Amino acid sequence: MQERKEVILKTPLSVEEIKFLRAGDKVHLNGFIYVARDLTHQLLMEDLEKGKELPFSLSGSVIYYAGPTPTRRGEIIGSVGPTTSSRMDKYLEYFLSRGLRATIGKGERKEGVKKLLEKYGALYLLACGGAGAYLSTFVVEKEVLAYKDLGAQALLRLKVEQFPLLVAYDTQGGDIFEEGKIKYRDILLYNKIEGRS
Amino acid sequence: MKELEYQDIVQQVEKALQELNIVSPKLLRDKMLEALAIEDNDLAREMLSQVMENYVVAEERNLPLCQDTGMVMAKVEKGEEVRVKGGSLRQALDEATRRAYSNNYFRKSVISDPFFGKNTGDNTPGVYFFELQEGDNLRIDLLVKGGGCDNISSLGILEPGSKPEEVEKFILRELDKKGGQACPPLVVGVGIGGNAPYALYLASQALSRPLGEANPDPRYRELEEKWREDINRLGIGPQGVGGKVTCLEVRIETYPCHIASFPVGLVCNCHVFRQKTLKW
Repeated sequence: MQERKEVILKTPLSVEEIKFLRAGDKVHLNGFIYVARDLTHQLLMEDLEKGKELPFSLSGSVIYYAGPTPTRRGEIIGSVGPTTSSRMDKYLEYFLSRGLRATIGKGERKEGVKKLLEKYGALYLLACGGAGAYLSTFVVEKEVLAYKDLGAQALLRLKVEQFPLLVAYDTQGGDIFEEGKIKYRDILLYNKIEGRS
Repeated sequence: MKELEYQDIVQQVEKALQELNIVSPKLLRDKMLEALAIEDNDLAREMLSQVMENYVVAEERNLPLCQDTGMVMAKVEKGEEVRVKGGSLRQALDEATRRAYSNNYFRKSVISDPFFGKNTGDNTPGVYFFELQEGDNLRIDLLVKGGGCDNISSLGILEPGSKPEEVEKFILRELDKKGGQACPPLVVGVGIGGNAPYALYLASQALSRPLGEANPDPRYRELEEKWREDINRLGIGPQGVGGKVTCLEVRIETYPCHIASFPVGLVCNCHVFRQKTLKW
């Protein structure tokens, strides 16, 4: 098996620096990332249809699917772990085609996402779900870019340092979930539940 | 007749909600340590290590363990000889939620109507299940879980006369498809019997039990253990990255059922198991 890599990346990302990464590699991410979840995506699309411009540049950008808890006075941010990515799949191609280079979230995504990532040369990165307090310690700056009154659904720009991630889907169709499951599942049990025995 | 003070209930529920969102119980930490000892996939170990770091950071910095602080669920067993002075139990639960979520910077994730609603701003109302019982006891099982794990809930309508193996097959199939999205290792609730809505209700109630509380029926205890082992043989692993620990516990709840039906409810909880039981 290929040795796993561990890399430090800084946003904005280029295709060249991410294309050699494979599912299962470790990434420590630095720089700015944009936080948006369900309603945020919906509103961004509506604004774009109305001819408004995005409040950030998509070229080489990274979107983090998350909705943090409110920030205590004197703190930078509350708990900020990933949400389930597959709910945002329907918006993905629009942003990829305009330069989005990576998304961060948790869980397997829908059919077709891996193909899109291959087509546009982008990564899907996995952050540890249910570790929102821990992940907040890698955030050094926060700015609300839009929809402030929506709280957890606002569009945020975070500056992160050494944000711990795993490559979930790479630019070649590699898939951490599938590869992991195939390696660890009991094939006899699996065949039985699939009705192949 | 036993009389309880409304304010006393509010205060105790508020305190419990505050704690369970920030402090992880020792039993859960022990289970995660056990999982770490079992896993040999370095990716699974990485995920489990972050989960354990998270316990420490949450407590030290007084931050919620997970940003999704849920929609509060409560199973309320109220004796017929219990009377609450000064307000209703429903009001008390809402009041406690309002205070706990507003005073502790927890996320407010509840909208007042699925189509036409706005965020209620204080995480109320919760989802409460009331059951009347004989006697003068009041028991409230609080459960807070995120949307991600609730979204993989499923209802199976099996053939009457189904065997445990068929129920297990249904559960394994469902979890193989969706388990990775629900932040495993999971606590898995299975409700069997009653009717279709009641089977889901039972599955949900199964999750309201404290960790480590064994099924009183040895036949079901055995099934719970077997199903847990088999779920772990699916290979999903922590956060779905592949591994040996996908399930922490299986809980089965059953009820008599109609001769023409065999409903099975499946409701899961993520690894951030936030539960507390209060008794009066």
